[in-house]
Amino acid sequence: MIIPVRCFTCGKQIGDKWEPFSQRVRAGDKPAKVLDELGIRRYCCRRMLITHVEIIDEFLKYPQVSAKRRAEVA
Amino acid sequence: MDIKLLSKEQDTLRFVLSGVKPAFANALRRIMLSEVPVMAIDDVMILENNSVMYDEILAHRLGLIPITTDLESYNLPEECTCKSELGCSKCRASLSLEIEASDPVEVVYTSHLKPENPDVRPVSDKIPIVKLAQGQRVKLEAFARLGKGRTHAKWQPVSAATYSYDEKAGTFTFLVESTGALPPERIVLEAARIIGAKSVDFQEQIGGLEKS
Repeated sequence: MIIPVRCFTCGKQIGDKWEPFSQRVRAGDKPAKVLDELGIRRYCCRRMLITHVEIIDEFLKYPQVSAKRRAEVA
Repeated sequence: MDIKLLSKEQDTLRFVLSGVKPAFANALRRIMLSEVPVMAIDDVMILENNSVMYDEILAHRLGLIPITTDLESYNLPEECTCKSELGCSKCRASLSLEIEASDPVEVVYTSHLKPENPDVRPVSDKIPIVKLAQGQRVKLEAFARLGKGRTHAKWQPVSAATYSYDEKAGTFTFLVESTGALPPERIVLEAARIIGAKSVDFQEQIGGLEKS
């Protein structure tokens, strides 16, 4: 749903690495290079970021739409 | 017994331990994983939460946040003199959070947590806790306590504690990677102290048997 705070396997804190990771990968950097530079060495931690989908952004559209609809009705 | 430091960078410590048996090296490693106490949030009072995240998931995420630990000023709750379930200022530190989103999407970070004691605060300020849509509110009070890794992995001070054993040379090359709650050298030191205390306890138990 949202980036996990820690790696599921080893417990390394990876929560604060998601934003720099996704920004740099979207800008065209190679994921492997970004992970190396963020200091994420083990493959258990690397898969946390590589395979993550930030679904909470989709959920957030519902309260936004319903707030807009409520404003229209009122 | 001899310890030679190889490197220390941020939260990772590498050293070579020699002149001990594998049983001792492994005891040191396992104590670092499961017996060295660190702080973690373990009680959360949610006063308001109309975010898209359920209370229990929010509480679980808060629990996993590594918290800087001050071992001198705090007691383990089970060893504290207050003997209270709620805890006292010597075995509990509170962190509060109150936020309402004014932007269409607002990310709540660990920097929004207000610690009661500035020495007991999240290790990183940039961990996302939850995301809020405009108008959504979260208000809560969280209590951090000392605990041990054998109870729950959130109290584990290390994300990696490993060694490789060179049978010919009889050396153990250790790697200790801290979560940031305690400096890695402190974790090794505490683990050594705990082994010592356990050995003394064992000796006393055996001594008691001999007398009877």
